[in-house]
Amino acid sequence: MIRLKQITKTYHRGKVDTEVLLGIDLHVKAGEFLGIMGPSGSGKSTLLHILGLLDRPSDGSYLLDGSEVADLNDDELARLRNAKLGFVFQAFHLLPKATALDNVLLPFTYAGRYPKDAVAKAEKALERVGLGHRLTHRPGEMSGGECQRVAVARALVNDPEVIFADEPTGNLDQRSSLEVMALLQGLNQEGRTIVLVTHDSSVGCMCGRMLRLIYGKVASDEPVENPVRAQEQIGLEAGGAD
Amino acid sequence: MILPYRLLKAALGSLWAFRSYAALMMIGLVIGIASLTVIHEIGEGAQKMVGDRMASMGFGANAFYISAGGGKLGVRHGMKRTMTLTPEDAEAIGRLDGVDQVVPHKNVARTQISAGGRHTNTRVRGTPPGWAAARNWTVQQGRFVNLRDLVTFNRVAVLGTTVARELFGGAIPVGKRVRIGRTPFTVVGVMDSKGSFGHRDRDDFVIVPFTTATKRLARDDKLNGMRVMLVSSDRVGEIKAEVTDVLRERHNLAPGVPEDFLIITPDELMQFITRQSRSLVAMLTFISAVSLFVSGVVIMNIMLVAVSERSYEIGVRRAVGARRRDIMYQVLMESLIVAAAGGLCGLGLGVLLSYLATILLNIPTAFSPMGFAWALGFSAGVGLLFGLAPARKAALLHPVEALR
Repeated sequence: MIRLKQITKTYHRGKVDTEVLLGIDLHVKAGEFLGIMGPSGSGKSTLLHILGLLDRPSDGSYLLDGSEVADLNDDELARLRNAKLGFVFQAFHLLPKATALDNVLLPFTYAGRYPKDAVAKAEKALERVGLGHRLTHRPGEMSGGECQRVAVARALVNDPEVIFADEPTGNLDQRSSLEVMALLQGLNQEGRTIVLVTHDSSVGCMCGRMLRLIYGKVASDEPVENPVRAQEQIGLEAGGAD
Repeated sequence: MILPYRLLKAALGSLWAFRSYAALMMIGLVIGIASLTVIHEIGEGAQKMVGDRMASMGFGANAFYISAGGGKLGVRHGMKRTMTLTPEDAEAIGRLDGVDQVVPHKNVARTQISAGGRHTNTRVRGTPPGWAAARNWTVQQGRFVNLRDLVTFNRVAVLGTTVARELFGGAIPVGKRVRIGRTPFTVVGVMDSKGSFGHRDRDDFVIVPFTTATKRLARDDKLNGMRVMLVSSDRVGEIKAEVTDVLRERHNLAPGVPEDFLIITPDELMQFITRQSRSLVAMLTFISAVSLFVSGVVIMNIMLVAVSERSYEIGVRRAVGARRRDIMYQVLMESLIVAAAGGLCGLGLGVLLSYLATILLNIPTAFSPMGFAWALGFSAGVGLLFGLAPARKAALLHPVEALR
C-alpha cells in the first residue's frame, strides 16, 4: 500500500535549515492500523503530512499503491487526496457555517464528477458514525466528540483507501476519545488502512502497530500486542459508572 | 476539479459565513456605482432634453442657422460679436437655388414693457411673418405678425405667455396697448406656451415686426441671425458652401480673412452638444472611477484579511482534494459576487436617486444604457482585478501551513 524509502524533509526558514526527517523507511500494508508516536519535534506530524500528500519530501521515494508520488505535481496530488485518502484533524476543521451533511459532502465538490447519490452516501457516512440524527446541525450546535465524528464521516464518505488522523483525540474528553477510537478501529476492521499520529500512549495502545520517531528517525517499529478495544473500554466505563 | 455550480455554491456558502465582511466590501462599491449611474442618467437626460428642444424649435434636418459674428461653435462666449449680417444678405441667400425661405431676426436688448400700472423686463425680437411657422410655433390668441405689419413698420406686438400673464393677469391682452420702452404698441396676439428649458423661461419674450424692430426700437438694421429653410435636406452641405461664398463676397472678405458669420447646421449643433455633455460625463465618470478604484482597494484589503482568517477552511478544502486553482476560482468568484451584488445595488440606488432628482429637483434624467454598461462593467472589473491578489494569496497557501 505505502512504501517509503529514505524519506527526508528539510525546512528552509530564512538562512536556517531545519532537518525534520532524516531518512525514514516504512512499509504500510493494506488493512493495517499504524500508530505514530514520538515527542514534540520528532517529525511525526511532518511524516503524516508527507504520507497524506499534503507535503512533499525533500528527498526519497514514496510509492502509493505501487506508483511513485514524490514527483507528482500539485493537481495530481490533489486528485489522489480526493480519490484515495481521508483526513481527520485534531481541531476537527469543519466549515463552521455549513451543516454536518454539507461538511461531509465537501470531498464530492472536488471529485470532478458529483455523484448522483452524494447525499445518500453522506447520510450513510453520518449514520455510520452515529450521527444520523444530526444531519442539519452546524458545528456550533454539536459537542466536540460529535464534531470529530462528523470529521470522520467526511474522511470516509468517498470510500478512501487510507484514513490519516492527526491527533484525532487531542481536543476531546476521555469518553469522546474512546468513541472516535472505536470508530477508527471499526473502520480498520472493515479493511481500511489507518495511519494515526498521537502523543497519547493510551491511544497508541489501540493501534495494531506502533512506529516511534525520535529526532526524525525511526526509533522502533513493532506490532502492538493485544491492542486495547475502545468499544470494550466504553462498556467498562459505562459499567464502572453504574 | 470543481464544477461551476459547486464553485458558485462554495463561494456563496463562504460569503454567507463571512457576510459582515461581504457587506463592508459592498458599501464603497454601492456608492461608487450609484453615483456613476446618476451621472449617466443626468447626462442622458440633458442630451434628450436638448434633442427634444431642437425638434420643438423646428430645427429640422432641412434647415440651418446663420449667426452674426465669426468664431467657432462653443468658443464665442466673451468675444465681441461683429454685427454685419443685413436684410440684403438675407434676400441674396433667399434667391439661391434650393433655398425655400430665409427667416431673419433682430434682437433688441432686454427692454421694459408696461401696460396699465404693471411692467416687466423682457426680450424683444423682431421677426418676419414666417418666423412662427419656421419654429412650429402657433398663436394661442389673436394673430402673428403679418406682411402688412412688415411693410408699414406697424407698432404691433405678440406676447409670450409669461409677459401676457405678468402684464394682464387673467385678462385678454389682444387689442390692449402696451409700451415697449417709450414706444406704444398694440397687442395683436399671444403665443402658445413652450414651457421652460432648464432655468430659462421660453415664454418670456415679445415679438414685433422685423422692420419695426430695426427702424423704431434698435435703430440699426443689422441682423442677429437668420434661419435658412431648404427645399430638401439632401443639399445642406452644398448650399452651406454656396451661402458662405455669397456672404464672403458681399462682406468683401479677402481670402484668408476669417468669416464674420457662423453657419450652424443641425448636425453640427447636435454633435457639439453631444460632445459637451460627453466630456462632462467623461470627467464625472473619471471621478467616480477613482472612487470605485478606492472601493476596489477596500475589497482587496478585506478579502486579504478574510483569507488569513479562513486559512484553515482553505487547508481543509485542499486536504479533501481542491487544487490551487479551485481555491483561486472560489476566492475570485466570491469577489465577483460581492462586486456584482454591490454593482446591482448601486445601480438600483442610482436609478432611484435619479428618479428622485427628477421629481423633487426637476433635473431631467433618462435611463442610460451606457451608464448601465459602465456600472456593470466597472463592478465586474473591480471584482476581478481586486480579487486577484486575495485569490492568489489563498491559492498559494500551503495546505500544511493553512491547517495549522
